[in-house]
Amino acid sequence: MSEPRGLVEHFFRHEFGRLCAVLIRSLGVRRLDLVEDVVQAALVQALETWSRRGVPEDPAGWLYRTARNLAIDALRRERTHARALPRLAEDDERESSPLEAHFADEIGDEPLRLLFVCCHEAAPAESRVALALRTLCGFSTGEIARALLTTDANVQKRIERARDRLRELDVDFDTPAAAQLGARLDAVLAVVYLLFSQGCHVTHGDLPIRRDLCDEARRLARMLAAHPVGDVPAVHALLALMCFHGARFDARIARDGALVLLEEQDRSAWNWSDVREGMAWLARSAAGDELTRYHLEAGIAWEHCRAPSFADTDWRRIAELYDALERIAPSPLNALNRAVAEAYLHGAQAGLDRLAAVLTEDIPARYPGWHVVIGELCFRLGRHSAAERAWREALCLTTARADREFLLRRLAVCRPEGGEPAP
Amino acid sequence: MAKFLFIYRESTESRPRPSPEEMQALQAAWYAWMQKFGSAIVPGGDGVKPTGRVLKGGLVTDGPYVEAKEIIVSFAVIQADDYEAAVAIARACPPGHTIEIREFAGYA
Repeated sequence: MSEPRGLVEHFFRHEFGRLCAVLIRSLGVRRLDLVEDVVQAALVQALETWSRRGVPEDPAGWLYRTARNLAIDALRRERTHARALPRLAEDDERESSPLEAHFADEIGDEPLRLLFVCCHEAAPAESRVALALRTLCGFSTGEIARALLTTDANVQKRIERARDRLRELDVDFDTPAAAQLGARLDAVLAVVYLLFSQGCHVTHGDLPIRRDLCDEARRLARMLAAHPVGDVPAVHALLALMCFHGARFDARIARDGALVLLEEQDRSAWNWSDVREGMAWLARSAAGDELTRYHLEAGIAWEHCRAPSFADTDWRRIAELYDALERIAPSPLNALNRAVAEAYLHGAQAGLDRLAAVLTEDIPARYPGWHVVIGELCFRLGRHSAAERAWREALCLTTARADREFLLRRLAVCRPEGGEPAP
Repeated sequence: MAKFLFIYRESTESRPRPSPEEMQALQAAWYAWMQKFGSAIVPGGDGVKPTGRVLKGGLVTDGPYVEAKEIIVSFAVIQADDYEAAVAIARACPPGHTIEIREFAGYA
């Protein structure tokens, strides 16, 4: 009798993606929904059987065999059906070729191909992340809804829309040819980046960081970098960026779940093996003359990592990097961060001036961070009532628990004798 | 020591499919349950496929009834001193089922 064995963390979730990728190779992108059903059914069988008998020696192989057999059964049923109803007969010869022949014991680059399919520009942008999380990362509808801060119904709709588009276009299941690689890779990187930032900056709910999203983003990026198609400087830069940010996760969250500002973080609690990995990726990203937003953002994150203390931060260099970033990927968030750098360089008033210069009408309502920074800079200038106003404004726009508690703490500092500030 | 039949039922109402992550957690929880009560579990318990036949009044129909709110998904035979002990074992099962607990009559 073999020793009962456990499964590695996220085994089911990751196998879901790998199984989908292998089956899509045989069945085609058009059959994405059938593939997901079959894979789900294989996992259910695994759940039932392994609960009773324990995990088999080769759980991944067990799942492949089961999913493959279920797929064959499903196709056989369809064929019977097709004979009875000729108008439903499939004209696609892919389905008449022996399915078994397509299955290899080794997983090749299928997950990578699936990543390119999920991030296909044909699908609406907001659908791509949802589809990648479902098909490749094995998240349920509910898990995706929580991750992307939307409803189950909305996630379902996004995924269906993406599947419909991919089916309409009869997208190939292949890594893109060199000629189209640039645009396709940009779309993939955007999805991976979005996934990571969704995990880093949770805008509501109880968890300050959704580490599982960040981990998935890093896993996908590593997968990209491991393949010739994705072994390019932009991918290396994105990996560096994620490693540098990831290194600070533990230090960002206090024991009670509160956010810890960079200024107050215990730098010895940073994950230095992440930093080292980031440095290696950053070095590789410097090959060639391509400069992407990921390069610049990785550069900024690296500046923070390499400063021995907050006081030693090279704000001049950071300001330069934000200026460069603003030229290739302008955004209010960059402007805000640039103003923070300005405030450390030339004082709080200089930061406020900078913010005033870039302010547009729609910014304040959309970025609680805008008010947080204004509050902080006003507070430093001794303008406590202006600071209080800004922080209250920020509080109105904030639903994440950790962010709210942070703001309440700041408001308490603002008016120490005032007791509980109004919500 | 008495024998008890555990009949596990699941709701037929469409529920969101469990995610792979949830299934992995369930697998570990069920396996732990099987290990913990290994000496009480009589071999032979199993899951049952979702559809079958119903023989009633000489007529065979497809079953279980489509209008049923819950269907039987699996069963186990458990040895325990009394109902209290059997219920304690049932309580330790991972959540998700209604469990009917019936003592064997001992006719056979």
